[in-house]
Amino acid sequence: MKLKLRKKSPPQETIVSLIDVVFFLLVFFMLVGRMDATSPFNVTPPESLAGEDLPSGGTTVAIGINGQLALDGTTISEAGLLQSIARQLTANPDLFVRINADGQSRLQKLLPLVSKLEQEGVRNVVLVVTPNLQ
Amino acid sequence: MRIARRNRNSALITLTPLVDVMLILLVFFMVTSTYLDLDMIPMVEKGDELNPTAPSTGTDGITTLLISINAAGEARFQGRTVTASALAEALRAQPDAQVLILPSGFANVQGLVEVIEAATVAGITNLRVVRLKAAQ
Repeated sequence: MKLKLRKKSPPQETIVSLIDVVFFLLVFFMLVGRMDATSPFNVTPPESLAGEDLPSGGTTVAIGINGQLALDGTTISEAGLLQSIARQLTANPDLFVRINADGQSRLQKLLPLVSKLEQEGVRNVVLVVTPNLQ
Repeated sequence: MRIARRNRNSALITLTPLVDVMLILLVFFMVTSTYLDLDMIPMVEKGDELNPTAPSTGTDGITTLLISINAAGEARFQGRTVTASALAEALRAQPDAQVLILPSGFANVQGLVEVIEAATVAGITNLRVVRLKAAQ
């Protein structure tokens, strides 16, 4: 007697769980991450526990360790930076400027720049710091 | 006569393009986002009006304390070089005082931030950074 083997159907691989995981990761990275223009040079912000939460948005001025300047990820001269800020101010008088200065850069670059920004009419300037977790 | 209807198959929606798009978005957000924990210290706020010619009355009874920062980034208070913790301790006794920070242009940003942190820890709320302008 010949026994008839039942035809085995290939196991059904459901991709619904994969979609769930990918969707979860997607939402996680969207919420946790912050998309900023990366400065063209290395900037290590000063460490401080006295900082407040940094809101998103605004324009970012980076100051490198040797005094190089960048505006929203592009290297720029000080005159060009002030012109660009003045243009942005006409469109948005409440412009928020974040200064991402290297902790080892000298104050002779930072403080005059803040004064000039203030003279241009910027009324919301913050210095970016990173919490010292030691 | 009875006409037999063709058995209609329900339209099949494939999920593969959805998975592709989601994976692309996932990789995009993973690569372009930064995950640094960043805070801020306000330097110019609304209401801080520039008025260097305004006369100082000097009769408001507020004590003004001056902290200088030398080129090496060390804080000097009342004639002595002090550490950040000693400075915070000294300022804690006068939380209502106005604190002026006069840093050397050659000091680094970290030195200034440490002094601001010490003053904040001591409860100082009236804090200003001043700088000397070159004579014209």
